[in-house]
Amino acid sequence: MLPPSINDASSIPAQAGIGLRFQHHQVVIDTRPAIAWMEVHTENYMGGGTPVRCLEAIRRETPISLHGVGLSLGSAEGIDPAHLERIRKVAERIEPGLMSEHIAWNVVGGDYLADLLPLPMTEEALDVVCRHVDQTQTFLKRQILVENPSTYVSFGNSVIPEWEFMSAVARRTGCAILCDVNNICVSAHNHGWDASAYIAALPVGTIGEIHLAGYSIRTFADGSTLRIDDHGSNVSEEVWTLYRQAIARFGAVPTLIEWDNDIPPLDILLDEARHATQIIESVNGTSEHAAAA
Amino acid sequence: MPPLLELQKAMRRSILLGDRNNVSAMLSPGISPGRLDIYRNTFLMTLTRALRLCFPAVAKLVGDEFFEGAAQIFVGEHPPRAALLDQYGGKFADFLGCFEPAESAPYLGDVARLEWAVNTALHAADAERLDPAQLTGVNVEDQGRICLMPEPSISLLHLVYPADLIWNAVLSGESAALGEIDLSSGPVEVLVERRTTGVAVDRLPRKPWRFLAMLCAGRPIEAAIGAEQDFDVPTALAEHLSAGRFVGFYLVPTIHEEPI
Repeated sequence: MLPPSINDASSIPAQAGIGLRFQHHQVVIDTRPAIAWMEVHTENYMGGGTPVRCLEAIRRETPISLHGVGLSLGSAEGIDPAHLERIRKVAERIEPGLMSEHIAWNVVGGDYLADLLPLPMTEEALDVVCRHVDQTQTFLKRQILVENPSTYVSFGNSVIPEWEFMSAVARRTGCAILCDVNNICVSAHNHGWDASAYIAALPVGTIGEIHLAGYSIRTFADGSTLRIDDHGSNVSEEVWTLYRQAIARFGAVPTLIEWDNDIPPLDILLDEARHATQIIESVNGTSEHAAAA
Repeated sequence: MPPLLELQKAMRRSILLGDRNNVSAMLSPGISPGRLDIYRNTFLMTLTRALRLCFPAVAKLVGDEFFEGAAQIFVGEHPPRAALLDQYGGKFADFLGCFEPAESAPYLGDVARLEWAVNTALHAADAERLDPAQLTGVNVEDQGRICLMPEPSISLLHLVYPADLIWNAVLSGESAALGEIDLSSGPVEVLVERRTTGVAVDRLPRKPWRFLAMLCAGRPIEAAIGAEQDFDVPTALAEHLSAGRFVGFYLVPTIHEEPI
């Protein structure tokens, strides 16, 4: 088991960063915005050519975190060693400060289902995930973070509350938790949980990163609503409130603004990141006022 | 079957085929099976978007509605086999070639083949070029066994239709030029590769194309040279080497032993 410290995080500061997407490569290279760190999807840099060259150029000035979406830690049939090797190669080239994946699955029978699919919260699924986190950390020779999912359905055989499932994975494998506050907000609405109690139940000291994003709402014919984690808008007020609670509980943690659909100009993302930084500083008493006192 | 695997297979059925019977029975009480459609929709939308990025000329030629219809059938039949959407769609050209509603546009398969080659070139791994000086270090008696390893972005296409002209006209929005293309002008041979300036699509005369194709397919250099007579083969080889079209070489085991 790896030590509970956040291995290699030294280069990712406990400040706000932004998700870097292709649309912003050139403007980031040209304008060098003051941003503490950036995160990319690992799968987007598994080839060669322009994308990875741009990322290497940005990496020379800004710490990068690698966030994977395709390892399928929850696959009953095991994780794909070829995909693990592709991840290792990207890491070798980019030297990320943090590496993360999801408590989800998307591969069965060798078919990649191109989404982060929900797991039943069972002892069997917990064993499967822990085995694959162990395998990944051993292969990459570093600690990874695992992110709580946003889900739209739950399964009848689930017996473990999701926050306990997350905590158990961290405890058993020594991995850290990537606490996606927006996902908690989305899933809590969709399943009738108390989002605030979810955050209060996560173990302090294992949270290595926080994600913030926007969600959309789908209304069904019967008037019921479902929150959809579409990363296509500003962070909601409700999520900012939960974020304050999370920072008060977990301390200053690297925090990412994610935006994947209808991607706005870079300035909008930087504004959201500034807002998160202000919250980190005010909650931790390191605002100008506190520093002067 | 372990319950987790059974659930994942049922979920795949609902996502690929829209048959949510099995997985519906596994949901928590009170969860509407209609919610499963979100996963199927995300799957179809994500992969259709990936195909549209990879095949922009095909999408323009057939229009949005047709493209989406074809893509949705394709992704259900050929889901990705790796978590790598940059490399998804290798079978789309063959699919379009046999897709009945596309019969009136027989060139569509060739345009898709070209776009797949362009996509492959865009995302191919970076590789260091072969220094030709390394070849001169091979013993004279072994030189007949030298095979070259092609740079990973290279594709050599034999197209029945002038798909390169169609592709160019469609993506540059030149509908007049598109109308003037003679579909019966005969097959063309094309080289697609990534250069420092971007992806290049160039026609090659048939014999130089065949020579390069033999080299890229791993035919020993001497054998490939011997098979071609009517053009300046040594100069062509030197040009390919200096353009960085090869990244390494190896020696094949001796094939032609003297009879005992």
